[in-house]
Amino acid sequence: MAAAGEKDSRIVLLSADSGPNSGFGEFISRFPGRYYEFGIMEECVIGAACGFATTGLIPVFCAPAPFVTGHAYEAFRISIGYMQANVKLIGRNAGFSYSDLGPTHYALDDIGLVRLIPDVPILAPQDGNEMKNAFRAMMDYEGPVYMRVCNAGMSEICEDKPFVIGKGTVLFEGKDIAILSTGNTTAAAIHAAKKLREHGVKAMVVGMPTIWPLDIDLLKQAAKTERIITVEEHFTSGGFGSIVAEACAEHCPVPVTRIGVPNGYATSGAYEEMVAYYGLDSSGIAKTVQQTMKNKRATC
Amino acid sequence: METGIADICQLEHKAALCRQKILRMCRAHNAGHLGGAFSCADIVTALYFHTMRHDPINPAMPDRDRFLLSAGHKSLVQYAALCESGYFPEELLDTYGCLHCKMPGHPDKRKIPGIEANTGALGHGLAIACGMALGVRSMGYGSRIFVVMGDGELAEGMNWEAAAAAAHHKLDNICVVVDNNHLQISGAVEEVMSFQPVAEHFAGFGWVTREIDGHDMSRIVGALDALPFEKGKPSLIVAQTTKGKGYSKAENVGAYHFWLPAEGELDKAEEENREVLKRYES
Repeated sequence: MAAAGEKDSRIVLLSADSGPNSGFGEFISRFPGRYYEFGIMEECVIGAACGFATTGLIPVFCAPAPFVTGHAYEAFRISIGYMQANVKLIGRNAGFSYSDLGPTHYALDDIGLVRLIPDVPILAPQDGNEMKNAFRAMMDYEGPVYMRVCNAGMSEICEDKPFVIGKGTVLFEGKDIAILSTGNTTAAAIHAAKKLREHGVKAMVVGMPTIWPLDIDLLKQAAKTERIITVEEHFTSGGFGSIVAEACAEHCPVPVTRIGVPNGYATSGAYEEMVAYYGLDSSGIAKTVQQTMKNKRATC
Repeated sequence: METGIADICQLEHKAALCRQKILRMCRAHNAGHLGGAFSCADIVTALYFHTMRHDPINPAMPDRDRFLLSAGHKSLVQYAALCESGYFPEELLDTYGCLHCKMPGHPDKRKIPGIEANTGALGHGLAIACGMALGVRSMGYGSRIFVVMGDGELAEGMNWEAAAAAAHHKLDNICVVVDNNHLQISGAVEEVMSFQPVAEHFAGFGWVTREIDGHDMSRIVGALDALPFEKGKPSLIVAQTTKGKGYSKAENVGAYHFWLPAEGELDKAEEENREVLKRYES
């Protein structure tokens, strides 16, 4: 953020009592005149972000994902989305990152909500390298962007290379089945694929750090395996898996099995326990793959 | 154009011309949010033709004053003022309500020049104004941001977040005018959800306030010319108004919030407006 701020003086940082905890300390100390604190009022901050953008400035606002999306949805939909305001919104602690705090602090629906706001790219970087490069791409993009970040420490799995909005990558080769993942679940997907190799299942892992617009060409490539699994720390309905299923139905019909949190009010507890409970760890993903492999193969 | 007309009579004439245009749009669609558009017509006229620095030839000039109609359902009055100012040709008024028209029922930034934001989902305007005010100030522009709100709209919580933010950030380049016509869809504002006295509510958040007769052009101009009321603090004008002011049958009648003209009503309203215009054109 500080590097971006150094490069472009139009960038300003907005905070709803959220800035200092969002890792923007260097920006705040180097550019105090470009840091605006509003206190706990996310709706107003998003409206104000629109206002800033109308003057030619580029506001960045980062706060826990449920408060950037669900709580401030109308302002997001109209003042940012419809008006195509050049505002960068980052929903941190997405998914159930705040696993011990309970459902008020989960964002298991943010992808679902934002995907219904037309023309707002949704990014979910998969590791630290990708987050840094996705941030640069987000700042260079002309228009609103939503980036979703879960806080669990992400293992390094991606190359340090420029991020292209709308493009995914095959991270692990395979031909029996394709696991499509986004954000922080991708490392577990790769680990699962490695475990599955030992049991003779060659699973492809496709990293999709841009949830919308989806990389349709890469999806078609993955669909050649004739079955797809999706993984996300989000409801299985309405999120990444739903977007993939819709795209498959339209472009390359293959069965899609979605791994995520079933629609319902999620439980609470230690993060790793929640990940395992919802089958989002490598064991859970591998188990779902093996169960899916038993289903009749589809033709495409 | 730079800040414009000083003569009160000329401004009153402009207000009558704006009301004429509002009626023209209501005729085109055979419907319209007449009550609120008419109640703030004098205020909006003063803003567009006396106070604000804006240019229909260069609507995006960076140091312009900005107008946000937070009570976006009153859009007819903004369209009338923009048309009268020269932002678009009069013929467009006759397309109001048509498929794909450039003037939907609430202001749309994407459709015609001069609209700063999409308002109408009530309670949003002041937050956007805060961002604009901070942005223009950081760039060294002397731009002022004017927000017209409804009194019923004050129930929306986002207004108060923004009121606090405006005072906290010392946004003396913001002026809110509350069109205090005391009526909303479900009845008298004081009975539905009262935020009276309005001035005290804003003062509690750190604003400086003034109350005026919202149909006395000399009082409106006097208040606007005194802005900011205090350096370092945002300003509020509570304009006491009459819903539907300008059409006798609509005055202070809640049913004219959204008007579906009965047989002959449009003719009557237009006739009353013509009588007013004659006084200024003679």
